Parts: sequence; structure tokens; C-alpha cells
Amino acid sequence: MSKYMSMDTLKFLLNEVHNMEELFEYERFQEFDKEAVDILLDSAKDMADKKFYPFVRDMDEQPAVFKDGRIIAHESLEDMIKGYADLGLIGGVFDFEHGGMQMPGTVLSACNHIFESANNHSLGYMGLTTGSANLIATFANQALKDTYVPKMISGEWTGTMCLTEPQAGSSLSDVVTSATPTDEEGVYEIKGQKIFISGGDHQFTDNIIHLVLARIDGAPAGTKGISLFVVPNNMPQADGSFVDNDVQVAGEFQKLGQKGYATAHMVFGENGGCKGHLVGEANNGLRYMFKMMNEARIEVGITATSIATAAYYASLQYANERPQGRRIESTGKKNSNAEQTLIINHADVRRMLLLQKAVVEASMSIIIESSMQADKHMATAHDPEQSAKHHMLLEFLTPITKTYPSEMGQVSISNGLQILGGYGFCTDFVLQQYYRDIRICSIYEGTTGIQSIDLLGRKVTMKNGKALQLLMAEVQETVQAAMTYDELKPYANKLMDKLGLTQKVLGKLMGFAMEGNYERYLMDATAFMQFASTIVIGWQWLKMAVAAKQALVSGKMTYSEEFYESKVHTMKFYFKYEMPKTTGLAEILMDDEVLTIKEEKQLAF
Amino acid sequence: MKLLVCVSKTPDTTAKISFNADHTEFNEAGITFIMNPYDEWYALVRAMELKEATGGTVTLINVGPASNDAVIRKGLAIGADDAVRIDCNPTSSLYVAKQIAEYAKEQNYDMVFCGKETIDYNGSEVGGMVADMLAMPFISYASEMEMNGNTATIKRDIEGGKETIEVDTPFVLSAAKGLAEQRIPNMRGIMQARRKPINVVSPVDFEDVSSVVSYELPPAKAACKMVDPENMEELVRLLHEEAKII
Repeated sequence: MSKYMSMDTLKFLLNEVHNMEELFEYERFQEFDKEAVDILLDSAKDMADKKFYPFVRDMDEQPAVFKDGRIIAHESLEDMIKGYADLGLIGGVFDFEHGGMQMPGTVLSACNHIFESANNHSLGYMGLTTGSANLIATFANQALKDTYVPKMISGEWTGTMCLTEPQAGSSLSDVVTSATPTDEEGVYEIKGQKIFISGGDHQFTDNIIHLVLARIDGAPAGTKGISLFVVPNNMPQADGSFVDNDVQVAGEFQKLGQKGYATAHMVFGENGGCKGHLVGEANNGLRYMFKMMNEARIEVGITATSIATAAYYASLQYANERPQGRRIESTGKKNSNAEQTLIINHADVRRMLLLQKAVVEASMSIIIESSMQADKHMATAHDPEQSAKHHMLLEFLTPITKTYPSEMGQVSISNGLQILGGYGFCTDFVLQQYYRDIRICSIYEGTTGIQSIDLLGRKVTMKNGKALQLLMAEVQETVQAAMTYDELKPYANKLMDKLGLTQKVLGKLMGFAMEGNYERYLMDATAFMQFASTIVIGWQWLKMAVAAKQALVSGKMTYSEEFYESKVHTMKFYFKYEMPKTTGLAEILMDDEVLTIKEEKQLAF
Repeated sequence: MKLLVCVSKTPDTTAKISFNADHTEFNEAGITFIMNPYDEWYALVRAMELKEATGGTVTLINVGPASNDAVIRKGLAIGADDAVRIDCNPTSSLYVAKQIAEYAKEQNYDMVFCGKETIDYNGSEVGGMVADMLAMPFISYASEMEMNGNTATIKRDIEGGKETIEVDTPFVLSAAKGLAEQRIPNMRGIMQARRKPINVVSPVDFEDVSSVVSYELPPAKAACKMVDPENMEELVRLLHEEAKII
């Protein structure tokens, strides 16, 4: 079996870079320790090797299809859902009282990275089940919790989230699916259509539970009139039987990638017989849903990171096996009589491999950083000041954690495909599949454009810039640690310079916001996302280099010396080849010329 | 039934193996360790199946230092009830067997399970030695096993076929592929394992009768040569002159 991810790098990030063990000191997570997490990660890898990875290419070649009113998913999916549920991962992060184990979300992120690297076509079915069951457990009444959560945690039923409608994609304020009160309290008649519903249908569970955004008759316009409903395919009855709930599948979207991951067009109440249970209070649906959405955004970051990671190891294997050409000798010529060298020995191939390594390992690092903040936020609920600090950091980092792996993962895989030359373009090799699979990540759960507006428009300005200040303090802490090693000092200084550049860029942009010219302020939000995420990822690389140096200098090495040296080397690569891009981006951001805002005069595209 | 399962710690199958400067010791730096797969996948799981079918207890036994506890915990997560670790740095198969037998002889186990071999030193010795020291029958390389009361019917893979053996408890068995199917520990089992005891026992005095003179690695694999599929003459020449296999 080919290598598709690195357990050593994952454990290095968890234990030595991010010190996951500090989570176990919180009361919420005290049932866990490093040894237990190690066993769980190894279990996840064993299962991914046996049940997930063997089918990743098959699921691309035999996509989910719409047939006789149902979506038929790949036959291997049944075993994957069962295996993942049996491990205890669907409800692992839930509170004990909801049947969970109060596992840190950071551990779930790490496990999901293993599964997504093995097979990115399947984990969404389980991830959405976790998310939707968590929404019910958190916001719904006890009867709904008792009815749905245990069966979702056990994998008997799966879950989805239904937001998008044909006329309401990024703009959810335009949702029109209706909810009409019935005689039964809390029960509404649901009518409407939802599209792009991931995991919306498959043949492997008796019931699928949809979390549907809809508008109660007479509710206010816009996002303040949206409510959340539990809408099962089959409605459970008091006597234990089920009634068909008039949830229809109108079709399956055939896609560029992730073909095994069903994407349904759902129709609710076409025959007037679809019922939904209101979750929590009316008109609070979007607020509830965004709890799940923020987690889903980090999950998309994991998906993108994992696809790019699998692609990195596929191209690395090829580069280590493919002989082609000869190295240039000191004479400036090549010796045609010498045997061909492996392509990994060519500088340009090494550059592409190092770019891939730099992108995928730092992407996983920022995912763990964000997941740790989410865990600390939850674990410090008794201390409002601490909890708010972690929440603000999480809020700031979430759009970056979703976007950097999604965007740069594409670049990374493109470089990996390039390493294979013509073979990279052929279906005989898996790189072309990963190149297609990752493309959705910068689209679903909020496009890159939406994430960028969120970062610059909401997160930078949140609480008068408090989140940004907190982040800068975290970066400075890493810089201080790096300054204790001569080898790292130049890079620590470069990172400090970039913090200064960030203040300069924001100083310029803030002027537009202060004038009330918000369209101008947000005009280049995507360039700002690239700028900010490049610096944040540089911070993660410096953090990794500090951990590696600590191990090398102290001699307390869990992994080989080469392993740690490669982390320092890749950090240097990132600072030489990626970090300078921020200078160009800053130039774009501070340029006064306006070319993209719509003017009265028509532009002929 | 009272069952004892011997478990060893071995390097991960992907670990890069190296030795110290005078080639007398295995270099553990940077190595990830796992439970020996034959102990875990076949011996332990079959013991668990017997316990689930007929009741009783499954105890793990390991001979080694405290750093082995992580591997023992995995066995507890799979379902063993408790564990014993003989606290020492073993020097040979005989030393390990002596420690296990000394512990087991007072405990009246119905069966003692071990893997057919460890995947590092490949000795296949401990099971047989333990059986001899406990004066019990030893069935090696068991690939199938059924119990009927106190009688076990065991199949072993032999050259070209299978051998079927009947044996009454107590006995010692070494487990081969086929005896059971790997179980992956789930989160509940892993959390329960934290509360299961690992009893640490001092080793008995034992003077080893052999010592390792040196270790050496196999020669590095030669580079792969690609031959054009149209050029059969070149393939034949290489197989004849370089590989020397025809």
C-alpha cells in the first residue's frame, strides 16, 4: 500500500508543536491522556488502511448515481460508516450526558485527517452526521435529543445540513423554503427545495436526518426570519414505527471531483406530507446553523489538507522511483554515459516537492492550532475572559484555516501533478483525481470570496481589532522562542517585519472603512486573505522549526534527526519562496487605483 | 477459563532499523513501537473470542521496562481484563520464557497464548520454552482452533496442507495467521483501558546462557533497472549476466 499521510508528522504536530497534552489538564478532557490518543490515532490509521484507502480510486471511477428515485453510493461506503461509528468517532466529542466521550475536537481533527487522506469521498457522510447530531444535542428539546442523537452516534442513521436553494447560495437571507405550523406544537409542515446537499441520500442507513433552514409563515425577511428544523426521511412514531415523510430526491449532481460523495437535489413536501420539528427557538436557525458551519469550515480545511497530503506522498513516491536525465556536473555538462538519475535529484523537482511539503504540513498545523483554540474555548467556559480570548482567536483563524489549505492545496497538487510530467495528466495515476477532488474545497461551506470578506470585514474589526491583537501576541511569543536559536533568528526577524507590514496595510485600508466606503475597504479582501494567510502560515512554520530545534538541541528526539532537520529546512524554504509574496500583495492592497468596483459606465467584458 | 496472553513490543513495520557502533545492540532512537502483530491480531483476539463465548478472564503478560506500558495499554483497550509486566530488560528468548513461566506456574492458567514469532527477532522460541518449563503441551503455528469442553481441536498449516490436533487444557499455543481476525480498539475500550491494572512484578534471578555477538543488516536493495518492453534481448541478457537467475 502506498503511503498517503505521515503519522510521525501528525504526532509531532500534536505533541511537540502544539502541546496537546495541556488540553488534558482541563476538567472537560481529563479522561484523556497522550497514550489513549496515540492508541486512538493508530486505530484510525488501521481502519483507514483497511476500509477507506483501498476504495478511493474506485469511488471516483464508480460515482454515486441517481436511480429510481434514490442515490446509490459505492458499496464500500456501508463498511466505512459502520467502522467509523464503531470506533466511537461520530459522537466522540459530545458531552457525556449526550452519549459522547468529551473527546477534544483536536483529536477528532487529527483522526479525520487520517481518514480524509485515505479517502476524501466518504468522510463527509460521517462528518455531517456528527455536525447535525451535535446541533440537535446542543439546541433541540429533550424529546428530539432522545429520538435522534443515539441512533446518529451509532451510525444507524446519518445526517445532513440543508441550506442552499436554487436562488439562495452564498446569500442565505433569500431562503424561501416554508414552514407552516400544524396542530402539534413544535411540528411544522415543510415545503421547498434544497440543492447541493452533501450526503443527502444513500442506500446504507434506514433513515437520513436533514437539518433544514426554512422560514416560518409570516417570519421577518432576511436572516432574522430563518428557523432550523429536524426533517427525517422517515418520521419516527410513538409506537416505534415510521411514516414516510415526503422527502424526495430529485437528482444527483455529477461533479468534477469527490464523485463518490453524493450531492443531492432534495424536495421537501412535494405531496404536502413533509413534517419538521423546530429546533430551539423560532427565527434563530441561522445562528444555530453557524455553530455547525464554523466547525464545517475547519472540516473543509482538513479535507483540503488531506487531499493535498495524499497527493504529496503520491508524487514523492513517483519522484523516488522515476529515473530521468542526469545531474549537471561541475564542468557544466551532463555525462550521457552515466545512468539516469532519479528525478528527486533534480533541483526543480525538489522545489516542487518542498512546496508541497511546506503547504500540507503547515495546513495541518493551522488546523490543529484552530482546533486547540476551539477546545480551550469550550473547556474554559467557567472563565469568561479566557473563554472569550480563545473564541476570538478561533473566530479569526477559522476563515484562514478553511481557505489556505483549499487554495494553496490546489497549487500544491498542481505541482505534484507536474512532477509526474505527462503521466500526471493520465488516469493511470491518482494525481489527476486529487487535482479534481480538491477543487470544491474553495467553494463549499463559504467560498474563498466569502471567507475573505469575513476575515477583513468582520474578524479584523471584531471588538475593535482585539482578535488581531491577540493573534499578534501569539506570533510574537513564537518569535521570542525562535530568537533563542541563532539558526532561526533571521526568520524570526522576517516574521516580525511582516507584522509591521500588516499594520501598514491595515492602516491604509481602515481609512476607507472609517470614511464609510465599505465597498472599497472590501474590494481586495481576497488579496488580503492571501496576504494574511501567508504570514499566519509562516508563523506556523516558525513554530514547527522551534519545536524541531528544541528536540535537536536537547537530544530528546522521538523521531530521527533527519525528520527534525527536514522541518527546519522546509521552514527556510517557506520563508525564501513563499513569504516574499506578501510584499507584492501589500503593494496591491495599498495601491489607490480602483478597477473592480462597478461604476455607472458599463465595462465591456 | 483463565487465559494468559504473552505480548511483545516490536518496531513498527516501517521503522528504519539500525544498530549501535559495535553492532551489538538495536538502536531504538526515533523508532515507533507497536504490539507484535502475531500476539495482537491472532493470539489476543482468539483469547478474547474464547472469553466472550465461555466466560473467564484474559490477562496479558509482558517482559520489559516501563516504556512497554503503552503497548500493553493497547491490549487492554482490545479487551483484556488486566496485565502483568515483569519489570526488566530481557536479554534473550530463554530469559523471557523463564520470567513468564515463573509467573504463570502459580496461576493455573487453562491456556497460554503467544504469537508464532515476533516480527523483529523472529525466534519462535518463547512459546515452546514456556510450555516446557510449565510441563504443558505446546501447539505451534495454530491457524484454527475450536473448543469442546476442555478439549481443543487445533489446525496447523504444514507444508502442502493442514494438520489437525486435539489437546486437553492446559496447554500453550502459538498463533499464526487465520486463528482470528484483527480487532481495532474503539474509543470506549481505549478509555476503559486507562482504569485496568498493569501489575508490575520484579523478575526472578536468571543467568543467561547465551549472548549476542553482533547484528548485521541485509545488503541494500539494488536500484531498479527499467527495460523497454520491446527489448526482450536486453531483459534476457540482464537476467543472465547480472541477476544470474537464468
